[in-house]
Amino acid sequence: MAASETTTARPGVSVGPTSEFSLFFHVKPGHGDDLREALRTLQNHPGYRPGEYGMAVATIHEARFVLFDDDTRLLFATSFDGPWDSYMEDFFTSGPTLALFDAVFQHVEGYEGLPDVAAVKAFVLSAQATAAAYARNYGGTVKEIRKAERVNKAFQRVLDDPAAGEGLQHPALKPLLDEASD
Amino acid sequence: MVAVADTVSLELDDIQSGALHERPSPYVGTYVLLRIDDRASGRELVRRLHPVVDSGRPSADPARDAWVTVAFTYQGLKALGVPRDSLESFAPEFREGMAARAAELGDVGESSPANWETPLGSPDVHVALAALSPDAPRLEAVVERARRARQELPGVEVIWRQDCYQLPTGRTSFGFKDGIGQPAVEGTGISGSNPGEPPIKAGEFILGYPDETGSLPPMPTPGVLGRNGTYIVFRKLHTRVAAYRRYLREKAATREEEALLGAKMVGRWQSGAPLALCSESDDPELGADPHRNNDFVYRDDLRGFKCPAGAHARRANPRDALDEDGSVNVRLHRMIRRGTSYGPMLPEGVLEDDGADRGIIFVFAGAHPKRQFEFVKTQWLNDGIFIGAPAEKDPLVGPNDGSGKFTIPQRPVRRRLQNVPPFVVTRGGEYCFVPGLRALRWLAELET
Repeated sequence: MAASETTTARPGVSVGPTSEFSLFFHVKPGHGDDLREALRTLQNHPGYRPGEYGMAVATIHEARFVLFDDDTRLLFATSFDGPWDSYMEDFFTSGPTLALFDAVFQHVEGYEGLPDVAAVKAFVLSAQATAAAYARNYGGTVKEIRKAERVNKAFQRVLDDPAAGEGLQHPALKPLLDEASD
Repeated sequence: MVAVADTVSLELDDIQSGALHERPSPYVGTYVLLRIDDRASGRELVRRLHPVVDSGRPSADPARDAWVTVAFTYQGLKALGVPRDSLESFAPEFREGMAARAAELGDVGESSPANWETPLGSPDVHVALAALSPDAPRLEAVVERARRARQELPGVEVIWRQDCYQLPTGRTSFGFKDGIGQPAVEGTGISGSNPGEPPIKAGEFILGYPDETGSLPPMPTPGVLGRNGTYIVFRKLHTRVAAYRRYLREKAATREEEALLGAKMVGRWQSGAPLALCSESDDPELGADPHRNNDFVYRDDLRGFKCPAGAHARRANPRDALDEDGSVNVRLHRMIRRGTSYGPMLPEGVLEDDGADRGIIFVFAGAHPKRQFEFVKTQWLNDGIFIGAPAEKDPLVGPNDGSGKFTIPQRPVRRRLQNVPPFVVTRGGEYCFVPGLRALRWLAELET
């Protein structure tokens, strides 16, 4: 565990509604292969399979697990809509996250034998390190981005209709017409 | 993980009844704040209040009697001489006090502690007493009992008094029936108002019992002080009723539309009938029926065509609306609310402010001030990230600054209200601890 980093919770860095969240763990000696296998299994789970976009937690933008230092260390990094410290108890009492984390965390030091959610929370926070630099290229929450994708898909369907040019001539639709040319 | 028993045996005889007690309706009440200038007098006050405070299983007939609840602020426990290690075992938010949490809670600008009513938010607030009764004579009798407890105690000063009431209609100053949604608490025998919500673990509300995480909530030490206690949060919230009515009048073409916009903002019609069950027009019979007026979920209305995702009641308790998110366990964010009205109602139809101070005294009870009250206030009421609308706050009680938006899903085109002004101004408040009866005796007998 990154003990020197801390035992106190820090909020991480936020950009707009989204905050970064990075955890650094020490892999239990001899568990490198098992952890790789657990992550391979995870990668083949619905939501994590290549080309899918439906993780169990719908408020994170992406998640990555990185084994490094010859599989002796594990990084978990994600971006989350909202202040993640407010949601820690929720994560560790709600089904999908609990099962997912359990399969991975059992291979890192300090996880076993934790008596209650407060201890799990303390364990996770002790592995957290706040980013020294963090930037984003879009401002929306996952919910807004998904909505934006749906709207754009609908808009492209409208543009595929030969009558679109004529239909978009109404003054109220000018902002859409401006986006219709390319 | 600690296994949670299906049933717990609550020591109801040791829990102040005000914490779990359903209130009569209607009722009258009084809140009194006191300052302890002299430690010995303070302890004597606690000793005398002990027999005034009621405990026990809440009566099946809430109109039976009047009762007093006694609570202490962090400064109050200090004034009583509670030892340092014990003081430090209380929840951090309670120790900081509400004024110190203002920026976090959205109490800024006009609502900031600098503008709060004296002595709210000051270190002078030590003891909070709440007396409630179905009618004025019984209230007077119980207030008199509390008053006698303070007689000839020069080291204890009454520094604030606020009368409050609930109208027979249950409606508050904005005109809506309030306080309908209450969680059932396991082991109390009190049924909740939503048949679809299984009882919440007692430890979410009373210290010393397992909570929804399967653990015991962090409890103040020594055990005799913490056990059977609960935290309460009280906030005096001034309501700008005339401004609210004018805003609706400006946005609506007809009275019917005005009522609909008001209902969309609240999530219920004025009668209390939920939009989830009747989205077209008010149904007073439904609103008045305690077996039906809270019996609903949102899963058939995730887009909010009936009840907007941003409506006040849906924000404060999203029920199953966030189940698909995988990041929220709503049972960790439930609150027992004991809100009440203060000040005269603005007569119906009046659109000009009469200068009277009116509003609600919001009261929360729970074991987790941070993940219950503060979470609901900061994540669900003051923010819109969780519904994918970061620019929107609660249209009724959110800290809007005049640039607020409120989206009302409807076909064919959604409606969006712009420039939502603030309709609620915080006049002050505090975090308090309501000890059990044995803990009260422990406080009275402190010898530090």
